[in-house]
Amino acid sequence: MNFALSDDHQVLQQSARTFVEKEISLGRVLVPGATVADADYAGNWAKIAAMGWPGLVIEEAHGGSGLSCIDLAMVLGEMGRSLAPSPFLGTLFGTWAIQKGGSAAQQARVLPDVAAGKARLALAIAESNGTTDAPGREAVAVRSAGGWRLTGVKSFVIDAASADWLVVAAQDGGQRAFYLVDARQDAVRVDALPWRDVTREVCDVRFKDAVAEPLTADDATLWPWLRDRILFALAVESAAGTQRVLEMTTDYAKERTAFGRPIGAYQAIKHGLADMLGLSECANTAMLYAAWALSEDNARGPVAAAMAKAYCCDAYVSAAHRSIQIFGAIGFTWEMKNHLYYKRARANAELFGGARVHRARVIDMVTKKAA
Amino acid sequence: MDFELPGEDHPKRQAVRSWFEANPHPSGADLARAGYVVPHWPRPWGLAADPELQLIIDEEMKRAGVTAPRNPVAINNCAQSLLTHGSEAQRQKFLPSALSGESVWCMLFSEPSGGSDLGALRTTARREGDHYVVKGHKIWTSLAHEAKVGVLVARTQPDLPKHQGLSQFLVDMDSPGVSVRPIIDMSGHENEYNEVFLDEVRVPADRLLGKEGEGWALSMIQLQTERVALSKPGAIWGSGPSARDLVEGLAETGALADAALRDEAAEIYVEGEILRLLAYRALSDRMNARTPGPEGAIRKMLAAPHGQRVLDLAKRAQGARGLIAGEQPFPTQLSGDGPFDDWDYAFWFSPAVTLGVGTQEILKNVVAERVLGMPRELDPTAREPWSETRRKGG
Repeated sequence: MNFALSDDHQVLQQSARTFVEKEISLGRVLVPGATVADADYAGNWAKIAAMGWPGLVIEEAHGGSGLSCIDLAMVLGEMGRSLAPSPFLGTLFGTWAIQKGGSAAQQARVLPDVAAGKARLALAIAESNGTTDAPGREAVAVRSAGGWRLTGVKSFVIDAASADWLVVAAQDGGQRAFYLVDARQDAVRVDALPWRDVTREVCDVRFKDAVAEPLTADDATLWPWLRDRILFALAVESAAGTQRVLEMTTDYAKERTAFGRPIGAYQAIKHGLADMLGLSECANTAMLYAAWALSEDNARGPVAAAMAKAYCCDAYVSAAHRSIQIFGAIGFTWEMKNHLYYKRARANAELFGGARVHRARVIDMVTKKAA
Repeated sequence: MDFELPGEDHPKRQAVRSWFEANPHPSGADLARAGYVVPHWPRPWGLAADPELQLIIDEEMKRAGVTAPRNPVAINNCAQSLLTHGSEAQRQKFLPSALSGESVWCMLFSEPSGGSDLGALRTTARREGDHYVVKGHKIWTSLAHEAKVGVLVARTQPDLPKHQGLSQFLVDMDSPGVSVRPIIDMSGHENEYNEVFLDEVRVPADRLLGKEGEGWALSMIQLQTERVALSKPGAIWGSGPSARDLVEGLAETGALADAALRDEAAEIYVEGEILRLLAYRALSDRMNARTPGPEGAIRKMLAAPHGQRVLDLAKRAQGARGLIAGEQPFPTQLSGDGPFDDWDYAFWFSPAVTLGVGTQEILKNVVAERVLGMPRELDPTAREPWSETRRKGG
């Protein structure tokens, strides 16, 4: 029993923080009217790839570092904390899907390139109403003489425009299955959405007889495992973002003066900051618990991941909104970072199911266990 | 990092379990002698236990169906000061009966004029030969009606600034001049709190705890002690129903079928689980001999309103029946036998949890100032002699 981070984890986190602070800048998205096209996705990816981060969770046999979810949280947290725009998250989701669901040949084809920073991935599963429930009906897989073909549309695909390979969930005879798709073929069209969170590329993807190859794991094997990790990853970003927003706002409340005192001297501000600190500590705790449970393949993993997603994303939204209020009108301008955090928070809260969805799952899981 | 609690086969657990098997019906004095009442204290009173062993002892005591001596003021807050600031004679005289629960203690701290501003207290203790003579009026004193010992904070040096002129005493509650009057709070219960009148009470000088002027520092340490919360997720300062009990109860009645109520219950449940984990993290920090993080103060700030939400939802799920005195929300009752294991009583008591031991507003100030480094609140009376403040009517 030891709920504290080890020294190794703290060193990993600190080195990631040093790197991100030095190398990743949000300068270009803080120009009014910027879009994700200004976020330097490709440049940041090159730097991140040089650090070996795309291979963090990939097995050593495929050229990765084979690290756990706790290690991943240290690094992903720093990217969430800084809103580092890059196709890291989409690539991570795709990596997990192939790790758990791909054949040995598929893994050998894709994962070494990912670990080397040469290939980027994305996971296409959501429908146009945002749901990730099976079987889905907007993309259909058809088997023909020449192999499998996909037709239809997938929505809210994170990092699709950067991706070299897509893992796509499509329906086949009422069942959902996952397919590996070369994103560079003509039969695949990617449209970046005018997404409010301009630090992240979120796209619709259209398939018209696109060549596809099924992964070997079925939906029931792959999706619960993958879902828990995706929820966890969004919780990691959100917990770290919450803490960063608190720090920014705390610093500002010490510097900004009004009526002859720093605004942090007033109880209305103090109490708001104390509430944000409570949110941040709780979010961090929920996230670490999920990191541990998933790293250990503990039976509590699904509950821990659902709790972390629900809590951390709500906390992030609340803290980021409060931060705009404490900064005052300046916090409402495009040139400040506050809105970037608020938009990331809102996006993380909605992607892969809102807090209510996951809280309902928590109640299902814990009352079933009790019965 | 490892969130696994000490398992069934943990070697420390085996030793504790054997003791309870050999002593199935221990008295308070037996438990005190075994070191199980204050395991985190040094020997001979405790076992110099780390937090892991403390947790095991809590769990094994519960498993054995043994109730620890009920003397919260001594055990959780004040008696530790005798180790650090008391004389050997005081330790020998007061600790054995305090730890066994035979001598109940109370805290004579708050006053009618003070509220959260404890340092402004007006009760005085003036030295006369080998005694102090105490005069004043205390309020919100839990357990005063059954206590044998009162830990008193009184002003010994009125000409010093308010926090500097305070001292602590161990007062016999049966001394002439001490009178106790119950406060009937909004729950309708008598004696949860009392007023205590101190009218020229003569306290022997050897009952001074520490030195004159150390009263403020001792009081702060005693109020901040948090061992009590280690393994108790209950809604009323760690006691009573938890969020897990709430969800079990709502599942039992079928109330979770209501989607809105279900979501609210889930939100409270998640918060409860996180608060449990926060407590364990604080415990790990101490095991690792790290400077404790802000978790302790923050947890107090979060746990009180969380407890209110637990009780509020249970009450609302009752509908109009919840207004019938004594009516319980769920068919199955809580297993504990403490006063707060009654859902209805705990609910009507719960407004107090954001008031007692400092209001929620003061606690948020403390968190923002001590943890986040916000400027301190202004207290124009903090630096002037207390007698001067009083002269001006403060």
